[in-house]
Amino acid sequence: MKEIDARGLRCPQPIIELGKEVSFMHAGDQVMLHSDDPATEPDLVAWSRMTGNVFDKKSKDSFVITKLSER
Amino acid sequence: MVRITGNFQSESPLHPKAFDVLHAAFESGWADPAKLSQSGAKARQLKNNALESIARALSVGVDSVVPISPTSLGYFLGLQGLFVESSTLIHGATDRKEVFAIAAKNPHHVLKSALDGKLIPENTSAKQSVLALQIANAETGVVQECDAINASTQSERIFLDATTSGIRVPLLDQFSTALFDSKSWYGPAELGILIVKKPSQWSNPLPHLNAAHPNFDVSLPLLLASAVALENFSTEVENADAQARKFNQDLRSAFSRVSDADIAGSLDTTLAHMLSVSFLNCNGEELLRAIESDGFSVDSGSACTADNLQPSHVLAAMGVLTHGNIRITIHPGTTQSDIDGLTDSVIKNVIGLRQ
Repeated sequence: MKEIDARGLRCPQPIIELGKEVSFMHAGDQVMLHSDDPATEPDLVAWSRMTGNVFDKKSKDSFVITKLSER
Repeated sequence: MVRITGNFQSESPLHPKAFDVLHAAFESGWADPAKLSQSGAKARQLKNNALESIARALSVGVDSVVPISPTSLGYFLGLQGLFVESSTLIHGATDRKEVFAIAAKNPHHVLKSALDGKLIPENTSAKQSVLALQIANAETGVVQECDAINASTQSERIFLDATTSGIRVPLLDQFSTALFDSKSWYGPAELGILIVKKPSQWSNPLPHLNAAHPNFDVSLPLLLASAVALENFSTEVENADAQARKFNQDLRSAFSRVSDADIAGSLDTTLAHMLSVSFLNCNGEELLRAIESDGFSVDSGSACTADNLQPSHVLAAMGVLTHGNIRITIHPGTTQSDIDGLTDSVIKNVIGLRQ
């Protein structure tokens, strides 16, 4: 699984980096996002709703994102 | 420096009538109303007139009106003053930080927020509960269904946070204390009006020697200006809200055509003069500065604009995007030209920042 290390980056950069990577992925693909920005988790909730994808929190700073939508 | 032609921040200049009265009030209302001198008696009369005017506009008894300063002190006075030893505080996830600070010192239960910003009513079994209920949210303007929440918690002691809703939304019939912010009717900042409707349920939580009617000694000229602002805004609020609703609809329609815009709450369930919108992949601080360079001032709930770099707990509780956020407050003097200019500026800058 590809990983994005966004630790040390502040919002909205982790979500922007995630969006770029997801745009190259296909439905069913996964990517691990590492981010210590306090806005990342709440923004992943909104981002998932807006883009039709899902995420799973693996640890305090790590999230697995699964692409469901082809947008 | 760019000249700001459109103010869409939550703060605004004083109501013009209040501004007029302020100068005169400093001339005639400088004395201590508690003293027996002639000037003191005059100041006392002015203060009583102001309190009666405020009570009339808020439809409460004059004895229940307690002016305080700063407004934030009212959260502690109005809420902590309702506690008995075994009280549990029930409050919303979208309440102000002041309520969270009081909750941190007491047993508490938090009501979650739905995506539309409405709190989800819960049947709690907490005994001796105190309910803190924010009538309208300060960031999004979402108006709560107070009756439903009150019915679900069955709290006998209720603190209403009317600091944002002001006179735009009626109070619940049954409540113990309520807090208003003079700014909500374009009166002076940092002047709060605490209503103690049920004195038998409230005790002054600050150290005090005299248990009689509390007096927190606010500036008399500011109180007079607030009373005048309230009296005048009471006659203007209906027209102001109708105009704001039209402008708000224009803004929502324009922003909803921008890709990946996340608008908090619907116009049907928010205050007509408030709008919070977040744009995916935009930096809130950069967006705010870019809009300001076009001559428009707005607020933002994004983490990058906050002192502590924390995202807005209100947007997070709702599940709304916290970055790229701007908050727009439509004031009575706002014009169609202001709205058109702001709309163009926001859209242009969102597109520019995303590239």
